[in-house]
Order: sequence, then C-alpha cells, then structure tokens
Amino acid sequence: MFIFAFITVKITLICMKKTHFTQRCLIAAFLMLTLACRAYAQNEKLVFSPHWLPQAQFAGFYVALDQGFYKEAGLDVQIIHSSATISSLQLLKQGKADIVSSFLMDALKLRVNGLPLVNFAQLSQHSGLMLVAKKSSGINSPEDLQGKRLGIWSSGFDDIPFAFLREKKLDMEIVRIHSTINLFLMGGIDVMTVMNYNEYNQIINSGINEDELTTFNFAEYGYDIPEDGLYCLESTYATKKDALKKFARATFKGWEYARKNKDYTIGLVVAEMQKAHLPNNKPHQRWMLDKVLEQITPSNKKVNYGQLLRSDFLYALELITISADNKGKTMKMEEFYMK
Amino acid sequence: MKTNSLSFKIISRILVFTILLGAGIFSIYFYFSRSEIEKAARANAVFLAENTIKKIEEVIRPAEMIPDNLSWMLESGAIPKDSIMPFLAKLVRNNPIIYASAIAFEPGVFATGVEAYAPYAYRKGESVETTNLWSPDYNYFIMDWYQIPAVLKKPHWSEPYFDEGGANAMLSTYSTPFYVNQQGKRVFGGIITIDISLEWLTEIVRSVKIFETGYAFLISRTGVYVTHPDFNIVNNHTIFTRAEELEEPELRTIGRDMIKGVSALTSIDLKHLGFVWIYHTQLPSTKWSLGVVYPHNEMFAGLRKLTFTILLLSLLGLGLLFLLTIRIINHQISPLSKFASSARGIALGNFKTELPQIGNSHEMQDLYNSFEFMKRELSSYIVNLQETTSAKEKIESELRIAKEIQMGMIPHIFPPFPNLPEIDLYASLLSAKEVGGDLYDFFLLDENRICFAIGDVSGKGIPASLFMAVTRTLLRSTADKTKSTAEIVTSINTTLSLNNDSNMFVTFFLGILDIENGELSYCNAGHNPPILIRNNQEVSYFNITKAIPIGLFDTYVYTGERIQIGPNDQLFLYTDGLTEAEDVDNKLFGDELLLKVIREHASASPKAMIEAATKAVADHVKGHTQSDDLTMMSIVYHGKQRK
Repeated sequence: MFIFAFITVKITLICMKKTHFTQRCLIAAFLMLTLACRAYAQNEKLVFSPHWLPQAQFAGFYVALDQGFYKEAGLDVQIIHSSATISSLQLLKQGKADIVSSFLMDALKLRVNGLPLVNFAQLSQHSGLMLVAKKSSGINSPEDLQGKRLGIWSSGFDDIPFAFLREKKLDMEIVRIHSTINLFLMGGIDVMTVMNYNEYNQIINSGINEDELTTFNFAEYGYDIPEDGLYCLESTYATKKDALKKFARATFKGWEYARKNKDYTIGLVVAEMQKAHLPNNKPHQRWMLDKVLEQITPSNKKVNYGQLLRSDFLYALELITISADNKGKTMKMEEFYMK
Repeated sequence: MKTNSLSFKIISRILVFTILLGAGIFSIYFYFSRSEIEKAARANAVFLAENTIKKIEEVIRPAEMIPDNLSWMLESGAIPKDSIMPFLAKLVRNNPIIYASAIAFEPGVFATGVEAYAPYAYRKGESVETTNLWSPDYNYFIMDWYQIPAVLKKPHWSEPYFDEGGANAMLSTYSTPFYVNQQGKRVFGGIITIDISLEWLTEIVRSVKIFETGYAFLISRTGVYVTHPDFNIVNNHTIFTRAEELEEPELRTIGRDMIKGVSALTSIDLKHLGFVWIYHTQLPSTKWSLGVVYPHNEMFAGLRKLTFTILLLSLLGLGLLFLLTIRIINHQISPLSKFASSARGIALGNFKTELPQIGNSHEMQDLYNSFEFMKRELSSYIVNLQETTSAKEKIESELRIAKEIQMGMIPHIFPPFPNLPEIDLYASLLSAKEVGGDLYDFFLLDENRICFAIGDVSGKGIPASLFMAVTRTLLRSTADKTKSTAEIVTSINTTLSLNNDSNMFVTFFLGILDIENGELSYCNAGHNPPILIRNNQEVSYFNITKAIPIGLFDTYVYTGERIQIGPNDQLFLYTDGLTEAEDVDNKLFGDELLLKVIREHASASPKAMIEAATKAVADHVKGHTQSDDLTMMSIVYHGKQRK
C-alpha cells in the first residue's frame, strides 16, 4: 500500500511538469479514486445479526453503521436480521453471520453443549428480566405467587425464573408462551416473565397503569446477570480478532452517540422497523432505548465497557449447570470470553 | 356633532339602549342555539357510533356463526376425518369474507398418536390452497390464536395483524374452542379459526365523517388502533402510546375506559385537534371499542358564522340607525337653533327679527307661538319700561334735589359755634331713603342760650320730609328768647295739628341750654330719652316724662323740665333709627348696647362719639339694609370757666 502510494505520487509529479492544469486535475482525480477504491477494498467485511427483530435494543449497531463508525474503523459491516424461521445463532452456525448478539445465558448454554462460540464483548451489564403480575390477581409479594399460572417464553431464557422459584420454594403452573403479552392481558396467566425494556412497557402501553402491577425485578433478587453480548465462532475469532475488537469499539461508539442523540436514534430504529414491516411507534422505542442504555451502563458494578466479570460468568454457569440437562458440564472463562 | 348637543344625547341614549337590548336578546339566542346544537351533536355522536357498531356487527355475527356451527359439527362427528381438509377449502371458497380457516387439534384428538395436526385452508390468488399448519418451526399450541381461547375456553378475536405475503391486508382471527367425546367424556378438542380481512371494517369506520376533521376510530382490546384516518397509526400505535406521544394523559384515561368496554361521551382538549368530544362504545362481538371524535370548534362553526353575520348586520344596522336618527332629529330640531338666533336678535332689541319657518309638529308650533307672544310682549314691555324709566329718572332727580334742599335746612357746619368755647356740638343724619323724616336743629336764642332739637316724623320718604320741613320751619319761626321749651313745643303742636289731615306726627325733643350756668331746660314730645354723660363717665338715660308726639292733638299742652349740668357733661340725642337698627336676624341694636358704646366713649368728643356709635351700628347690622333714618346729636358743655 505504501509503495503504491509512493509510486503514484511520483507519477503525478512527473505528469504535472508536462501537462495543462485541467489534465493534471483529471489525473489527480483519477488517482484519488483509485486510492479510494483500493482503501474500500481493503475494508474487512463483517456480517452481524442481532438476536431479535429490529428494535431499540440494537440501536447502537444501527447508529454505528449509519454514522460510519464501522467504516472509520476499516470495517465493511452488514446487518442481517434473524426471522421467525431462522435465529441469529442458526445464521452463525450456517456461516451466514460472522457476529451475532445473544443473551449471556443462552450463549453459554450453547457453548457448554458444544457450539464453539466465544464472547468478545459484553454489552449489557445488568438483567432486564422481571416477573410482572396484576395486583387484581392478589399478587403483592413473592409468596403470593404460590400456585399461580406463570407464563414463560418457549424460546428459553428460563434459567433465572426457575432459579428464583427454586429459591423461594414456589410451586407455580408454568404456561409456555410465544412472544406476546396478550394471554396475560386476557387473564389466561397471572404472572409472566417480561423484559423491563420491552414487554413491561407493552403492558403499560396496553392500558394497564404501573400502580396496578406488581413487579419482581430479578436484578433486585440477586440475579443481576448480564444479558446482551457479542459472539462469534472460535474460528472467526482466530482469524479476525482485530476486526472483531474494532467492531466492538465502533459499536460502543454507536451506543454513546445514541445516548447523546436519542431523537435521531429513535428515528433510525423506527425506520429499521418499518423496513422490516414491524409494528412500531416512537414512545415504546424511546422507553426501550432508555432502559437498554441503563443496562449498558456499569453503574454499581466495577466493570469496564465490554468487559465480562468473572463473578457474572461463574454465576451464569452455576445457574445453567443446576438444570438436569446440563448437570456436570463445565467451562473455563478463558475459553468462553476473549478479552 | 358636539357631544353636548341634544341630538347626540338622544342618539347616544337610544344607541346604548338598543345595543343593550340587542346584546341581551342575542345572548339568549346564542345560548339556546348552542345548547341545542350540543344536544343534537351528542345525540348524533351516539347515533353515529351505534349505527357503525350495528353495521360491523351485521358482518361479524354471521362470520362468528361459521366456526361456532363447525364446532358443533365436529363434536357431533358430522364431518369424517378424511374430509376435513376439503371441507375447510370449500368453506373458505364459499365465504368471501373468510380469508382462511383452520381446525387445530389438541394432541391425540385427531387420531391416537398424532401430537399435532392443524388442517388449514387459505386463499392464494383466485384459488384456495390447503396445508397442515404444524411444523417444528411453527408450534401452534403457543400461538395467541390457539393458546388464548384454549386457556380461557371461550371464543377470542385476535389482535389485528398485517398478513404480509399472504392476504396483504389487515386480518383478525376468530378462534373458538371445540370439544369431542372421548371414552364417553366431553374433552377439549382444539381450536377452530377463521381469518377475516378487516378491509370492509376499515371502510365502514372510515366512512364516518364528522364535519371537516371529525372521524371515527376503532381500537382493539389492548388499545391497538384497528382503524384510524392516519394509516401510519394503525397497528403501530396503541391509544396509550399515542397519548404518550401527544402528551395527552387524558387520552390514556379515555383509552382505559374504552378497553374496559365503557360507553361514554367525554370531552378532551387535544393539542392537535383542539377541544373535541369523544363518544366511545364497545363492539359486543370482538370487544373492540369504537370512538367517534367530534370536533367542538367545527360543531359550532355554523353558529359562529351566523353569529358573525348577525353581529356584522347589527353593526351596519346600528350605523344606519345612527345616521338616520341624526338626520331625523336634526331635521326636527333644526328650528331650535334658528329660534336661538332669533332670540338673540330679539334680546338685542331687534323686535322685527323674523321667526323661523317650522314644520308641523305641535311642540314647534307652541314654541313659535310662545316666541311670537314673547316678542310682542317684550316689545310693549320695553315701550312701557322706557316710559317708566324716564318717569322714574325724573322723580329720582327731583328727589335728589329735594334731599339737597332738606339737607340744606339742617345745619351742617361743624363746629357750629366756634366763638363759644363753652360748648361743642356735632350731629349727623343718615336717611334710609333719598329724603328722610328725621330732623335736628340748633341755633342761638341769644348770646347765652343755645336751642337744639331732634325729631322723628312718623313714616318715611317725601311726606315725612315735607312734614319735617314744616316742623323745622315752625321751630325756627316759633322759638325766641321769651318762650320756654314747653311753650315752643305746644305752639308747634297746635300749628301742626290744625292742618294735619294726613295724621302724621313727630316725636320731638327740644332743649335750651344756658351756657352761663349750665341749666338745661327741655321738653320731650314722645321722643327717645337722651343720654347724659356726667364727668366723662357716668352714663344714664334722662329719667324724664315722655309726653305724646306733636301733631296729634291741637289742644294738648306740653310741660317743660329743667336740669343742671356741670362742666364737661355731655348730652347724646338720637332717633329710634339708632336703637332699632336691625341686623339680618332682625335683632335690634337696643338701648343696652347703645349705653355700652357710649360708656366706652364717655370721654370722647361729640364727633368721635357719633362716629363710634355710627360704626357700632354698622358693625351690628353687618350690611343689612338700613330701614329707618338714623340721626344723632351730641353736645358737650365745657362750662363757663374756659372763657
């Protein structure tokens, strides 16, 4: 690259001596274009897939792309979304995505079961998971949950709720639900797991006031396990380590930009959702952005941006390996988390 | 027009009253119209909503009947298992409103060992395709359309959703549970669904137009907009996110009432629409809620326009009324100003001034007659007045001359006897009218005796002055050094009484002072008692006999008296004009006050004493018109030794 540039400069100098000004300009433009093309061609291509449909949970990625932070870092990033029929992890396995985002618990569970993926940056540092119940169903404290119907997502992410039930010695009727809050709203279940940045606000946005709800934030019950992180296959990490680090740094830059430019960010998210023909509105995305930004902020934890605390890793591993499916399985943090 | 002109005053009062009356009537009219419009709008809002609901229900109810009947057929076993799929396809094909239909079985219900089976018929272009919904990627048991009615065991209308790639339209799925008999038991068999397009519903709701910006909207049981004039809101927003976005907390309250199925008319002030009414009521079938938005502003736009027009017309009318009234009043009262200038002409003495032409109003006719009468009367009055004035002037001039003559009769050179150091004398006479009835006189009878007199003729004016002149002449002609005071007075009385047809009389005091020895002889004919001041300090009235005034009885004989006065004794004579001088309250000057004044000036010269008394009287009456002649005379006897 350096040699190429040196040669072109020499040629330019020679040409300048013999040609007219316009010709010189044309040549210079041509050379610059050539340089730009070469520089672009040099950008590392990366395909990223967030683990859910477009929403403010992934605002940092959209901002980094839109603001050219990835490009500045020498990356050529493409964002592809998972769909109802294909998850981001499947895209990863199939090699259609280089990087995916995932919940720590989900990723670690796959890893202990043999999928060779690694965490190269931990985005969120806190848990947004919570249980929510209508006060009208007589639930005001954890004891009131006894014998009630609990809706839990069929897609997983149930380790923390189950650990909570075990700890509180609660026997609840588990109803597996897909992804909406409708069964809860219609009274088909008494309690459901929700994300504070998403479903909780959806319930509020369905006409139930906050003071009509009882909430159990798992973070407040000692289950403050980080959620969203960046993952790739071990093989990818081995070959594209620098690019991945750059990707993580640019992503954080995107989040910081989002924190300072919320209106712009929400506009970007809503446009992404419209592209995917998803129901969208700004108030809910604003709520989600605020809550996800809270999760990303370390606050009371002594942790750097992007870092996965050993204690958090070990706690997550402990919760996973308690269940019968994963009993006895182990994992070293160094093999899972790449600093 | 001047603001104090008659026409302005009349017009302004009429205008104020007209405006007040108009405003009153108009306010009442406005208030009633407004409340009538409100009433009608309320009724219309309810009617519109109920009518729309009825139209929607007319479509939905028959649609609900299809799966409801199907559930009965499945329970009774009327449909053979192997013909379920073609049956569904036919059902979809024959019911244009249905986009797709499914029968989703519980595990083991369709057949033993079949964990999941969901035959599904759906439209694809013109044809109807069939498939089994179940796949490892599509676990229908946890889908809302299956799970909610399965858990609740009652029919359910799903939240509306946009079916992309399939119907490419807003759909809602109606799901109803069905039951089967297994080993003699009625058990839950699964869910029957129909998907219906909501295009027709959107059309019905969107066709509701209220004025310019009013509209109807429909929200689902969770508040999601099913229809709204702004297509971007549909399916994206709930009424609650909209409330948050618009920062209208009241809208959230309305939304909560709506999803609870409350029917109510609520008013709300929306930032983007202004003040609106929202009537909302629930669709009995889907439990969705229909809202009708009635813009308050537009509701009263007609009334406002009318109000504006009426106000404008009223203003124009008032303006015209104003101008017309000015014209009429000015026309009617225009003779007044002409009368005024005529009156000025007459006042200046021009009695030939023409009176203005007048209209036919009787008030003006009256005024004209009065002016005419006034002109005539004034004219004759002025002629009379001129005559009277010249007569009066003549009399006054004569009176002035008479006064001069009268005053000429009275000695008025002071001191009168500069050669007689024994006495000092001063007198004054102030007539109430031009000529008076008082008199005083003094003269020497011989070298040692001085005769002096003071009198007051009854009545005033010319008769009194003539009588006074006669009396004074008689005194001068009668008095000589041989006669006593009584003789002189008796003589004068006899002469006056004989020819006194007018029965006038005179109170009269006559004194003769012998300056050799200080003997004073005197005769008092009904006159006020004089005051004697002895040794410059002892002041007293003469304690003397009062005889009758002269001029009454010709045979009456007066008697005289004598008194010895010492050196520096002073005599003060006066008429009743002094003691009976009245102030504004008719309070008399009185004897006591006179004595007090004299006492205070007991040692004064005659002139000073009279001036002091004159001043005291002036102070007492304080400018009140003098009603009687005021005459005073004072004599001081210094005694013989000063010679």
